[in-house]
Parts: sequence; C-alpha cells; structure tokens
Amino acid sequence: MSLDTNFMAQVFKTAIAGVPVTLQIVLVALIVSLPIGFIFALVRIYRVKILSPLVRLYVSFVRGTPLIAQILIIYSAFPSFLATIIGKSAFSIDPINYAYIVFTLNSIATLTEVFRSALQTVDKGQLEAGLMVGMAPRQTFVRVILPQALVSALPNITNATLYLIKNSSLAFIMSVKDITAIAKTQAAFSYNFLEAYLVVWVYYLIIAYAAELLFWFLERYFSRFQRTTTAKSFNWHLFSFKQPTTTVAAVQYDPKKELVNHAHN
Amino acid sequence: MTTLALIYKFLIQILPAIQITLIISVASIILGGLLGAALTRAKLSSHWWWRAIANVYISVIRATPAIIMIFVVYYGLPFLIKGWFHVSIEGWNRMYFVVIALTLLFSAPVAEIFRSAYLAVPAGQKEAALMVGMSPWQAFIRITLPQTFVIALPNLANAIINLLKEGALTFTIGVVDMVAKAQMIVANNSGGFAFETYGALALIYWVISLAIDKLVSLVESSFQKKRQAIQP
Repeated sequence: MSLDTNFMAQVFKTAIAGVPVTLQIVLVALIVSLPIGFIFALVRIYRVKILSPLVRLYVSFVRGTPLIAQILIIYSAFPSFLATIIGKSAFSIDPINYAYIVFTLNSIATLTEVFRSALQTVDKGQLEAGLMVGMAPRQTFVRVILPQALVSALPNITNATLYLIKNSSLAFIMSVKDITAIAKTQAAFSYNFLEAYLVVWVYYLIIAYAAELLFWFLERYFSRFQRTTTAKSFNWHLFSFKQPTTTVAAVQYDPKKELVNHAHN
Repeated sequence: MTTLALIYKFLIQILPAIQITLIISVASIILGGLLGAALTRAKLSSHWWWRAIANVYISVIRATPAIIMIFVVYYGLPFLIKGWFHVSIEGWNRMYFVVIALTLLFSAPVAEIFRSAYLAVPAGQKEAALMVGMSPWQAFIRITLPQTFVIALPNLANAIINLLKEGALTFTIGVVDMVAKAQMIVANNSGGFAFETYGALALIYWVISLAIDKLVSLVESSFQKKRQAIQP
C-alpha cells in the first residue's frame, strides 16, 4: 500500500496546463451568462408576454436534466445541425467552443433564478420611497433596487460559480484538454488512476477555495453600506459584563518605557 | 412528426434502465441523510473539535466535483481496504462505489440544510415540551424533529434533484444506467439519431425532477395544513 509519489508530482506538473482551460471555460460562461441571466430574470418578474413562459420552460428543463445529458445533446447533435448550415467545416471546430456553449446555457438558467429571487427580496417600500422623492422608475431601479439586489444575489452567485467550476470537470467528455482530461490521459499509460485523480482533486479544491475567497472580498465590498458602525452605537446592555472597548485600548504595551524602567532598576 | 416518434421509440428502449438510477438514488438519499444528520449533530456539538471536523468535511465535499468523487472512491476505496484489512473488494458490484460516492456528496448539503432548519425552529417549542414533562429525547423526536423536517423540505427537494443529476455520472465507471444505455443506442445506430436519443434521456430526467418537485410541495402543503391555528 503506497502511492506512486513520483507519478503524482509528474501529473501535478503536467496538469497545470489544464488550469487555464478550466478557468477560461468558467470565466467565459460567467461573463456571457450574467447579463443574459439578469435579462431573463427581468422577463420573469415583469411577466413579459410569450417570453416569460418560454424562459420558465427553459429554466425548468436545464435545472431538471443532468449536465451530462445536456453535454451529450449539444456535443453530438449540434455539429451535424451546424454542418447543414456552414458545411463540412463544422466538424473541425475546436471542442472548447461547445464547452462554452454548454456551460453558458447551463449557468444562464441558474443565474436567472438567482437574480429573480434577489430582485424579489428587495422590499416594495424601497421602490415606492424612491418614486416618492421624485426619482423616475428607471432611476429608482438603478440607484435603489439594484445595489440592494446585488448584495443579496452575491452569495448565490458564489454558489453558482462553484457549481460551474465543479461541473467544468465534465468538459473532458467533449475532448477538451482541461485538468481532468490531462490527468486521465497521463494515468492511462500506467493505470495509476487513483494518484491522478487525487492530484486533480487538489487542483479543484485550490480553484474552488480561491474563487470563494475572491467572492468573499466582493461581498464585503458591495455590502459596505450595510455594515453597522458598532463603535458608535449605544451600549443597550446595562448590566452586561463586557467592558467598554476604550478602556482596553488605553492600556498599551510600550517597549521603550519598559526598557527605561529596566535601566533604572 | 418522425422526430417525436423516434424520441418515443428511444424512450421505451432507455426506460428499463431507470431502476438502476432509482436504486442508486434512493440508497444514497437514505445513507446520505443519516450521515448528514450525524454531521448536523457534530456541527451543533459543544465541543469545538467535532465542529471543526464537520466544517472541514463539509467545505471539502462542497468543493469536490461529482465525477472526481466517483473516481476517487472507485479507485481509492479498494486501495484503502486492501491496505488496512488485506481484503480485495475490486470484484464488488460497481453500484456500491457509486452509492458510497453519492452518499458522501449528498451528506454535506444535507447537513447544512438540516442545521439551518433545526435552528429555525423556535427554542420555545423545545422548552414548552420539556416544561410539560417530556424527556429531552422525546421532545426532540416528537416536537423539534417534525418541525425541522417541514422547514427543510423545499431545500431538501433541491438537494435530491441535484443528487439525481449527479447520479447520471454513474456510467463513467461502467454501470449500465440510462446514460450508458442511450450511448449504446447511439453507437448501435452508428452515431445517428443522437439528438433524439439524448433528448429522450433528458426528458426522462426532466419528468423525474418535476415529479420530485411536485411530490415535495404536496407533502409540504399537507404538513402546513396541520400547522394552522385552532379554529375558534
């Protein structure tokens, strides 16, 4: 019972070439699907005729079917469909484009739901108050509703991004050379699958935690207007045993003073 | 109309494999639910090391792609068992490995759902139960648990649908489930009718997801009815 550590180090080195591919898929899918998901959410909220039930059907389908089925549909059916339009050159398209399409379509559906629920969490009174002080409906939406909705959407966007990162490991089925695909081909030579997948696991953990950290900073930045200033607030706990913070801050360690004291002694 | 007829034809061919998907899903829902409940207990524990273990476990599982989990369990578990107990389990039915992987994957979100639902039950409920003379265990089983369950239901439905979708990756380690069956049909037609076959596959999953959604909302509304205040 021992893992082939040499092989693991080797996979670790070669699989790093797949990291940009994975990140590329995630970024492209996110950047394209964020605005589209937002528009779809607006379509659902304002109950636009004809479009609203279509969006609903689309979201229900994407959320109700496994990603692998969507990949198989797009990857096996789309090229032949495309070939009828642009001819034989459709079969020589780089498979990463299909990955872009699949993951974008997939995250549009999740983000539609995210934005829809986020826009609905904003109290109706906020809109009314904005209109009351004389803002136009559009102004109120952009200046009052949107900043608040974005803050409540961010945790869910983080989740959607994490799902996207995890799901992008399925891109190897479309013969995209991402982390999983590189490790898999490496392992196939010597049948060291366990070692290869452990390395891939570590890579995904690193990417996912980095993304989580990034979104944590974003969340802190966008919710800065919600932060309460605890220092200035009145201490309502009359009989609490907590000491006021000011007294703690007053006692400070001064190394110079101590040195002088020692000298005197 | 020929497309629809073809989809129907492939639907009938794929459908017998549904039992494997269902067996795997139900087994991992039950086992994952139990593991998730244990994790919830650990997260609410007063000892910090239990909380730390549960937190680390949940955050690692949350960041693990389903396919990597399935592969690591499939290749790693026989390796570990051989090293520890000197027993070879490579001949096991591959469904067991999938069930173990999905159990691990399912337990993390379920623990989070159970925890938030448990904390959402007002503390007064438990205190009232203890007041009327129930033991803490009785109070938990009869008063807190049913309410926790009702609060957890909508999120649980989401988690179960996610599990079902992750279960579609079973085919990657060679179990002949619906996806593998669809791929075989496409291969038999030498790559033809791919759209119709995979469309039929997606339809089956869609119907199952919608059914789970509907079922859970029915259960939820029937529970909500019991929560109504006493009529004057």
